[in-house]
Amino acid sequence: MSQRWKKIALYTFYTVMIIVVGGAFSFKVFQPIQVLPRIRLAPGFSVVMDDGERLTNEDMRGKLALYSFTYTRCQEPDCQRLIQTMLELQDKIDTVDFGGTEIQFVTITVDPEHDTQEALRAYAESIGADPALWHFARIDDPMLLKYVVGGGFETYYDEQEDGRIQLDPSFVLVDGWGIVRGEYHYRTLASDSDRILRHLDALAEEIRNSTGVASLAYEAAHYFLCYTP
Amino acid sequence: MTEKQSMHIDPYEKNWIRLSIGLLVVFALAVTIAGFAMGIQVPSPEARVDPRTVADEGPWAEPGLRELAPGKYEAYVLAQTWQFTPREMTIPAGSEVTFYITSKDVQHGFKLQNTNINVMVIPGQVSKLSVKIDEPGRYDYICTEFCGLGHAAMFGTLIVE
Repeated sequence: MSQRWKKIALYTFYTVMIIVVGGAFSFKVFQPIQVLPRIRLAPGFSVVMDDGERLTNEDMRGKLALYSFTYTRCQEPDCQRLIQTMLELQDKIDTVDFGGTEIQFVTITVDPEHDTQEALRAYAESIGADPALWHFARIDDPMLLKYVVGGGFETYYDEQEDGRIQLDPSFVLVDGWGIVRGEYHYRTLASDSDRILRHLDALAEEIRNSTGVASLAYEAAHYFLCYTP
Repeated sequence: MTEKQSMHIDPYEKNWIRLSIGLLVVFALAVTIAGFAMGIQVPSPEARVDPRTVADEGPWAEPGLRELAPGKYEAYVLAQTWQFTPREMTIPAGSEVTFYITSKDVQHGFKLQNTNINVMVIPGQVSKLSVKIDEPGRYDYICTEFCGLGHAAMFGTLIVE
């Protein structure tokens, strides 16, 4: 009798092991769930928006935010591409089902000296930014700006001696917990708007679905690095 | 009904089997603890780029070290047969550097000696890793993937002062 139970216990153990190991392998290989990585904490900040309202990182709790960095005087093709990308995203944002979670676009200027509040508002109007979705913002103190944009959002900019600003126009996607989930600092094979839209879809899906037991599956996707390309 | 004789395993062998299973459990625990409690993550591809044009425009057109903010740097490194660009970078001690590395031809490796930085550099992919170095000194970065005749000469130096 005990011999028989021993055998049953052994086979049960093997079966469970095979299911666990096989399940983990196939989860990693087939990636039924893909998520965006949790890269790091987004910085704390306080900006003044083009409508005069003050916005801090605490106001963005529970909301998604797509930050971007540029300045209005910029004539480089990269800057124009950034605005073009933002406009495309503004057009297509309604196709993403965020399940009631709010999303906001915040474009922070790296040239607060020229980009006054009025200049930013005029610029936002001229390109057709939707004021309910997309705000331009500035930080007055150049030192604070450097710490927030350079140190926190890891976006490089530098004022040259001739007054020009060298900048990598870039986007940073932050979730409702204030965690950076996507960074777009340079050109990739897929266009920025395609990538960001795909990432927004993935993030929205995680927000909608990761409740109860399903949230464990999403944690597993994080653990096994099943990242949306 | 007679029980079938169970398979005979030599006790010595049995102990080794137990030990190997025990080791697997220890490794699985170590990986789990490293991943969850210590937050250690293996480097994963950050983005896909076109290796034929990656050095023509954007940050890899002028690869090098850039200061993001006081104490925080980023380094765009371009690997090609058989050199890293830039060959030398200097940062103050205690600062954090994020490396963005890509290759414009074949597969290379990037290992920063005496640090946790060790990553494959695959054409068409960007490898991203961060490190904070407190100890001043010369840290060589070497190619760890055999990439041809000049492989042994493919290295650069990060100077921490």
